[in-house]
Amino acid sequence: MSGGYKQQPGSGSGEVRKDGKRVAGKQSFGPPGSGGSRPEMKPRDLDFIPEMVGGNEKQPAGAHIHDRARTGTTVGKAIPLVDANAKVTGQAWYGDDVRLPNEIIGRIVRSPHHYAKVVSIDTSKAEALPGVIAVATGEDAPNKFGVLPVTKDEHAMAVEKVRHVGDLVACVAAVDEATAREAASLIEVEYEVLDSIHDMKKGLEDVDEPIHWRGKYHVGTTNVQKRVFQEFGDRSMVENPNAMYHGKWKYMGVNHGFTEPHAVVAHWDSNGRLQLYTPQQVPHYAHRALATVLDVPMHQINVIRTFVGGGFGGKSDPFPHEMCAAILSRKAGKPVRITFDREEVFWVNRGRHPSHIEVQMYADEEARISGFDIDALIDGGGFASFGHVTSYYNGVLATAPYELGSFHYTGARVWTNKPASGAMRGHGAVNTRCAVEVGLDDMSEQLGVDPIDLRLANLLPPHSRTISGFRITSNGMRQALQEVRKGSDWDNKFRKLPLGKGIGIGCGFFISGSGLPIHWDPNKFPHATVHIQIDMDGGVTVHTGAADIGQGSTTAVAQVVAEVLALPIEMIHVRSHESDTSPVDLGSYSSRVTFMNANAAIRAALEIKEKLLNAAWDTLGYHPDTLVLNDRRIYYKHDPAIGMSYLEALHKAQEDKGALISSGAYRSPPMGGVHKGAAAGLAPAYSFSAYVAEVEVDVETGMIKCTDVWAAHDCGKALNPLAVEGQIIGSCHMGLGQVLTEQMVYGRTGHLQNANLLDYKIPSVHEMPNVTPIIIESCDPEGPFGAKEAGEGPLLPILPAVVNAVYDAIGIRINDLPLTPDKVWAAIAKRMKVEGIDDPSELPVPRLDFSELQEKLAKRAAEHEIRDKKRQRSEDTNAYVNGVLFGFNPDIPLEDQVEGWKSADKPQPEQLAELGLAGKAWLKQEQRHMGGEN
Amino acid sequence: MLMPPFELHRPGTVEEACKIAAELLEAGHEFDWIAGGTDLIPNYKWHINSKPHVISLSGIEGVSQISMNEIGCMARLHDISESDQVHPLISEAASKVASSLIRRNATLGGNLCLDTRCFWINQTEEWRSSIDWCHKCDCGTGADCRVIPNQNELCVATYQGDIAPNLMVLDARVHLIGPNGERDMPITDFYQLDGMTRNVLQPGEFMLKVTLPDDVSDWTGAYRKLRLRDTWDFPEAGAAAAWRKGDRSTLRVATTALESIPRRHDTEVAESNGDVKAICDAVYNSTKPVNNTSLPPRYRRNMIKVLIKRACEE
Repeated sequence: MSGGYKQQPGSGSGEVRKDGKRVAGKQSFGPPGSGGSRPEMKPRDLDFIPEMVGGNEKQPAGAHIHDRARTGTTVGKAIPLVDANAKVTGQAWYGDDVRLPNEIIGRIVRSPHHYAKVVSIDTSKAEALPGVIAVATGEDAPNKFGVLPVTKDEHAMAVEKVRHVGDLVACVAAVDEATAREAASLIEVEYEVLDSIHDMKKGLEDVDEPIHWRGKYHVGTTNVQKRVFQEFGDRSMVENPNAMYHGKWKYMGVNHGFTEPHAVVAHWDSNGRLQLYTPQQVPHYAHRALATVLDVPMHQINVIRTFVGGGFGGKSDPFPHEMCAAILSRKAGKPVRITFDREEVFWVNRGRHPSHIEVQMYADEEARISGFDIDALIDGGGFASFGHVTSYYNGVLATAPYELGSFHYTGARVWTNKPASGAMRGHGAVNTRCAVEVGLDDMSEQLGVDPIDLRLANLLPPHSRTISGFRITSNGMRQALQEVRKGSDWDNKFRKLPLGKGIGIGCGFFISGSGLPIHWDPNKFPHATVHIQIDMDGGVTVHTGAADIGQGSTTAVAQVVAEVLALPIEMIHVRSHESDTSPVDLGSYSSRVTFMNANAAIRAALEIKEKLLNAAWDTLGYHPDTLVLNDRRIYYKHDPAIGMSYLEALHKAQEDKGALISSGAYRSPPMGGVHKGAAAGLAPAYSFSAYVAEVEVDVETGMIKCTDVWAAHDCGKALNPLAVEGQIIGSCHMGLGQVLTEQMVYGRTGHLQNANLLDYKIPSVHEMPNVTPIIIESCDPEGPFGAKEAGEGPLLPILPAVVNAVYDAIGIRINDLPLTPDKVWAAIAKRMKVEGIDDPSELPVPRLDFSELQEKLAKRAAEHEIRDKKRQRSEDTNAYVNGVLFGFNPDIPLEDQVEGWKSADKPQPEQLAELGLAGKAWLKQEQRHMGGEN
Repeated sequence: MLMPPFELHRPGTVEEACKIAAELLEAGHEFDWIAGGTDLIPNYKWHINSKPHVISLSGIEGVSQISMNEIGCMARLHDISESDQVHPLISEAASKVASSLIRRNATLGGNLCLDTRCFWINQTEEWRSSIDWCHKCDCGTGADCRVIPNQNELCVATYQGDIAPNLMVLDARVHLIGPNGERDMPITDFYQLDGMTRNVLQPGEFMLKVTLPDDVSDWTGAYRKLRLRDTWDFPEAGAAAAWRKGDRSTLRVATTALESIPRRHDTEVAESNGDVKAICDAVYNSTKPVNNTSLPPRYRRNMIKVLIKRACEE
């Protein structure tokens, strides 16, 4: 049978090992169409084929549109990532592994001042140094760029001003690193130092020299980069609350702390095209920005994404050093490589915003959540980056998973003279989520109810709308809460553990792909496109722009293609590194890749499948509806003996056209409201998660040790449970860092004091708790095979879970992250003073006495559980909007049935006086309303 | 990260090492000793007080002995921590230094001669230039101390070695050798209060070995280390206590990571008549850490009471 395919490795060599391992240099992998290394086809794996289409896989959440595409090949199976071999054997090529012939080394000259005008730059001494080949300054690239088209405020190197210590001023390229460093030190820059701003509260004030100038849209003469106001619902509901939480929270900035520092290689090839190698999460944005800055059309640039040694949001902006490498390379006529020191990674930053967040929450007599008031002032550092979006996310991503009576949010992002903040895993949602979840814990205590029951009785159901108009489809929140309650033995531990031991709950809600492709109209160009090509040998090449940053997007795309075509995953070759060959793609952010690219890949694969089945129809005479595709074979459903190999079908299909090619795309459905900012937080699906954390607190030292975490995450459908569990455990680690030890410390002089990985305290393996990942599958109707995101959402709940557990352990709430031991110790010392005790072992610990509300809530939760199951399985398809819990009719616009129900994106003049800290940004007028000229 | 160029000398014997040192001194060349390099190399990469010559001790034979009464300068911390030949207090302290990878390279001599640390100095050259340098590495500018401004007399960088306080409570002696011969002294006399000179090593001298009293195995004690993570981190404060088994009146206490040198607190112990709480308070009163490590000085100072208490418990 394999006679015609002798070129296939592994066939006919005669060498067979008995120990199951493969012979060096040979693959234990038969030719396509043979049924694998065994002569017969592998039987269909019915355990991984859904019940609805004749398999054994249970579908408690109902059928899915992709059920018929399931072949039992890879989806749902725990398989290693397809790039795992390359990584564990050291063959993966990261940014700094790229070595081109004749390369030279670039080095960046950075500002020693927080804020200064660049008066002059003298490069003559550097240019005169032997070995120096090119020098560039801001004058070489005056065009602005930025990750968001609405806030382009960056230059390759300083034009006019530097905005933080470490801001780029000039760059040099020389024959080696030592010469480049020496040359950098020879560049003489004259500065006029300006008054710098370090406290984000000061950013709200008018100053003489704002860090950026936005012309007629500039808010007064402040450093406010973006201000947001959102109000929904009936504000009168929060009057006379039954319980109320008021928390003023402070969050230090954190950095992604990825393993690989930034590195870039730029090379203008023999045809004058730029080849740029960079570990980018979003190569397409870099591509666009390079074209703008270099004044070169996009088609003359090829962005090659190397392997990415961790991104987490920190490699998603187009970066000035990428421009610098390209400019130097153009000047030098040689490839230029720039690799960062760790300190430079901190100068680029784009980590989570330092924030002041004030939260007020209210519950009514039925323990329904009658309102959230959130005010978030966030410190953007020197540049806008993703901040426009972050400003919204800090509020609007708190509008679920709970049903709210009203929602009020004011947000402001200010510029300060620090490295820019940006997007980081859980973008914008993490800090507010922590405050809100701790608030629920506090309110449940006031109400005398279990915090899990309070949550279970206030959840939005599947297929509903949030108060801000987000469309919720699948929703596994309830199940996640139930699972962690069971897994952690919550009912026997909560408020029952001795002093120093505590248990806490936290939930999370996150977008699975941003509904708006930032650079284009989603109705005119798809979010994601995937091309598939199969040539004579049967191998499947998949072209996608999805950027694998370690999260496993390449594996996810390969898996879904393998699943649809019933081919071993080894036959799927994903090509995603070069912009020349990959379709335009937005890259890895907003947890969009699996949802969007896998959907596009399924469409492309289904098109190929159709072609194969049609070819088989021609040969076998059976209609495609009666043919089964399984393990490199196509056969008649009722008699597997009648069939042909995959390769035979492929060759038949190729008779007239050569290689089989198909293209699939994903577009999100129209959704969301029409108010200003309605698109922020809008996503085709949302993930939900609930964690329970158990901690030990040393009451003498304030040291916190998180010992166990039960982590339930609703990812819709785990395409690869191994990868999902990895994401959950990794998220725990990252979130634990933020809640316990990680912080960017700016000292007395405004300098970042800990720009290295010894002093920036990422938790080690010793600090890792036992994490029990629990995968919840709510089967999203629009997700690929039901899948949603699992990369960012799982980070959210760990923070509040730990903070709540610390309260359970020592009876003290600390609203200042990270919970370093000095803060905890100081809080304990303060409490001891208040209580009049000398020995911390006498600290009182909280205990819970249920009120009569507890029973009511448990009953309501039980009713809602039945409601949710019906809605999840589409047995109940009635409309459900936020407000039904409060007795409103979902079929009539709430504005028409509730007096005082509003939706506003600007404060009314009478509201201005009562706004919180960030709300103060609304006290100023924009220049255009002040008679400003431009 | 690129080290400045230096010439590496690799003597094979102690005598040869002393000879090279003498020659360099005579020629007026500055140099550093390198043992495991886990402290020196990061500092060199950051261009902190680097020298044009470096003499490596790694090729010298017979200086990595490990026994109950004597430990050579080149004994690796990993070997000390795994050894059943050394006093349990020493192996415990060694096991708490940095990470397992670093302990494979790091040596006893290097740990005892550890450079002092401060977040105004342990930074890259560019970073330090942005604060116009500091007293410890002023690059010829006469820069002021950044921790305590308006005094450029004393460097207050913090000594963050783990092993020294443990050797102190066990009454160890250090043996130094150099072009002018060999000498030895109690380890408590080895350290000298100043963040820059740190100890009494003369130019050309290096630490050859540490010896412990004959009856050291009769002593027991404990070391308690304050740090955010159970690996990598230097101590933010550390306390060692030891006493002759069954005789608490012999209690000795020493601390580290609170000032520029580790210190044995004989006065405080004597005045407290063996009352551990009184010792804690006395040490608290006599130490004043400054703000130059990860955790705030007020906290570190308060924690020393807890650390001493816990070190004395076992």
